[in-house]
Amino acid sequence: MHPAPATAPLPAPALQAENVSKAFVSGHQRTQVLDHFSLSIDAGELTLISGPSGCGKSTLLAILSGLQKVDAGRVWALGSELGQLDLRALERFRLQHTGFVFQGFNLFPALSAFEQVELPLNHMGLSREEARRRAQQSLEEVGLAHRMRLRPSELSGGEKQRVAIARALAKQPELLFADEPTSALDAANGQIIIDILHRIAHTHGTTVLCVSHDPRLVVHADRVLAMEDGRILSDRRNHTAVIDSKENPA
Amino acid sequence: MVALARKTLVYEWRRFLPAMLAVGFAGLLQLLQIALVLGIFGSTSLYITGSSADVWVGYPGTQSVSLGRTIDADVESRLLMDPAVQQVEPYLWVDGDWRGPRETGGVSVFVSGIDTAADGLMFSKVLSPALRKRLAEPDAIVIDRSAMDQLGVGIGQTATINGQQVRVVGIGSGLRALGGVNVLCSLDTARRLDSDPTDTGPTYLVAKLHDPAQADAVAMRLRGDTAFGPYTAWSAGDFARLSVRYWLFDTGAGAGVLFLAGIVFLVGAVITSQTLIAAVNGSVREYATLNALGVGVGALRKVVLEQAFWVGALGLLGASVLGVVLMLLARSQDVPVVLNVPVALACIVLVLGLAAVSGLAAMRSLRRVDPATLLR
Repeated sequence: MHPAPATAPLPAPALQAENVSKAFVSGHQRTQVLDHFSLSIDAGELTLISGPSGCGKSTLLAILSGLQKVDAGRVWALGSELGQLDLRALERFRLQHTGFVFQGFNLFPALSAFEQVELPLNHMGLSREEARRRAQQSLEEVGLAHRMRLRPSELSGGEKQRVAIARALAKQPELLFADEPTSALDAANGQIIIDILHRIAHTHGTTVLCVSHDPRLVVHADRVLAMEDGRILSDRRNHTAVIDSKENPA
Repeated sequence: MVALARKTLVYEWRRFLPAMLAVGFAGLLQLLQIALVLGIFGSTSLYITGSSADVWVGYPGTQSVSLGRTIDADVESRLLMDPAVQQVEPYLWVDGDWRGPRETGGVSVFVSGIDTAADGLMFSKVLSPALRKRLAEPDAIVIDRSAMDQLGVGIGQTATINGQQVRVVGIGSGLRALGGVNVLCSLDTARRLDSDPTDTGPTYLVAKLHDPAQADAVAMRLRGDTAFGPYTAWSAGDFARLSVRYWLFDTGAGAGVLFLAGIVFLVGAVITSQTLIAAVNGSVREYATLNALGVGVGALRKVVLEQAFWVGALGLLGASVLGVVLMLLARSQDVPVVLNVPVALACIVLVLGLAAVSGLAAMRSLRRVDPATLLR
C-alpha cells in the first residue's frame, strides 16, 4: 500500500484524486474539463457519478481507472500512484485489479459468452481449470448459466451487457468501472444490470464506480455525486440502498 | 487459451476471404509462371540432362551449351589420365543451315555429332539404341518428331545442311530445342557438315566417372590444368544450370519472372493488408476493451499476426491444390512445366512473406486501440 496522505480519511479510500487538472485540445480550442479537482471513493461501495453529458464524468472515470493521464495533480488507485506507472505497468495494474463495463458491450462476434469471459482470464496467468471455473461462476452469478454457449448475435442487449459484466467480474477485481452501463437497455434489463452492479459491491466488496445519467441508478447507489462543468455539485449518501440490498439478497 | 484469432477467422471467413484469395492467387501465379519458364528453358540444357556424362569439358567462358567453341582434341588424354574418369567421348556442335526437299526457307539447325557406340554417353537418355546404331551410317541424321513439319522431311528423305547432303534415318522424341531444331548425327557426319575450316577439335569432351558423386571435385581438379591449351571443366549439373540461366537472362525471361514476382507480391500484399486492416478496424472496440481489462498490446499484436499466418497458410493450401491440378493438366497437354524443390520453396517463402508483411501492416492499425475512446 502506498502511504496515505495525512489529509485522507480513514479507512484509506480505494480511489483518490488530488488537485487533478485535465484539458483537451482540438485545433486551437482548449477545453478545460477538470480543474484542480479532488475526490475520494471509498472501498466496497457503489458510487454513482451523474451529470449532463460533457460535464467531465467520463474523463474522471478514465483518469481514476488509469486509462488517461492527468495534466496536473495526482491519482491513487488502491494505494498506487497511477502517474508513476508506465504504459506496461498500467496495463499490468488494470489486469490485476480492475474490471470495466462500457456502454457498448464490445463482445467479439466469434466467441461464445463463455469464451468472452474466459479470454481475459487467460492473460492473467491463471490455470485453464481456474479460468474456466471462474468464467462459469461469474456467468452463473449474472444469471446466464443456461446461455453461455451462445454467441453475441444470439443474445439480447441485456444479456450481452450481463456477459460484459461477467467478463469484468470473473477477474475478481477490487475496482469495477462502469460507463453508462444501462443507457442502451430497456427498463427491465437496465434494472437487472443495476441490481447486479449493486450486488457486486456488497457481496464481493468491490469498489464500483459508475458513471451514468440514468436516474434509475440513483436510488441504488451508496453514494451519488452530481457533477457539472468539471465540479461536484452535490455529494449525497444513500442509506436506502443498503437496506435494499438486505431485502433482496443475491 | 481461447483461440481468438482462429475463431474469428472461421466465424468471419467472408471478411478474410479476399485476403486468402489474394495470397492464394499470388502464390499460384508465381508457381505456374516459374514452372512454365523452367519447362521452356529447361530444353536448353537437354544436351546435358539427356546424356549420362558427369563432367563436361569445353572452351573457357562458354555461357551455354549452344555457344561452345572447339578445344584441342588432345585434352582427351589428359582426362583419361585422371583416375576418377571411366570413359571419355567427344561431342561436336555445328550450327547449320537446313534446306529440305519442300519449301521451308532457311531453317537454323543445331547439329550434334555424337559417338554412335552402344555405350555412348551423349543423348543416352533420349535416344533409343536402335536409332543410335542407325546414325553410324554415313550422312545419317535423326530429328525430333515435332520438327518434321518445320524441316519438311519424313523418314528416308534427304536434305542438305550447310550444302552437304544428309538423310533422315529415324525420328526421335524429347529432342526439342529452343530457338532452332536439333539434328543428331555421328561425329564423322558432323565433321563433314562443319563448314568452318578452323574447327579442328571437338566442341566438348564429356566424361563418365566411376563415382558420379565426385563430379564437382573432378571438374575442379581438371580446371587447373592448361597444358593442352585453353579449356575448362564443369560438372554436368553446373553446366546445365549455367545454360538455363544464360537463356533466362539473355532473353529477358528471367527479368520478366522477377518483375512479375515483384508485381504479384505488391498487389497481393496490398489486398491482403487492406483486408487485415479492415478486420482489425472492425474489432477495434473489442480489442480496446481487452486492453482496458489489462490484456497488453503485445498480446493483441500476436492475434493479428496469427490471423495473417492463417490467411497465408490457407491461401497456400488452396494454391497448392490448384497448382497440382493445373500442372497435371499442363503435362497432359504437352505443355512444358517443370517444378523443383527450390522453386516450390521460393513460392512458399513468397506467399508467407506476403502474409507476414500484410500482418505487420495490419498490426500498425492496432495503434488506434485506445480504451479511453470507449468512454465517450
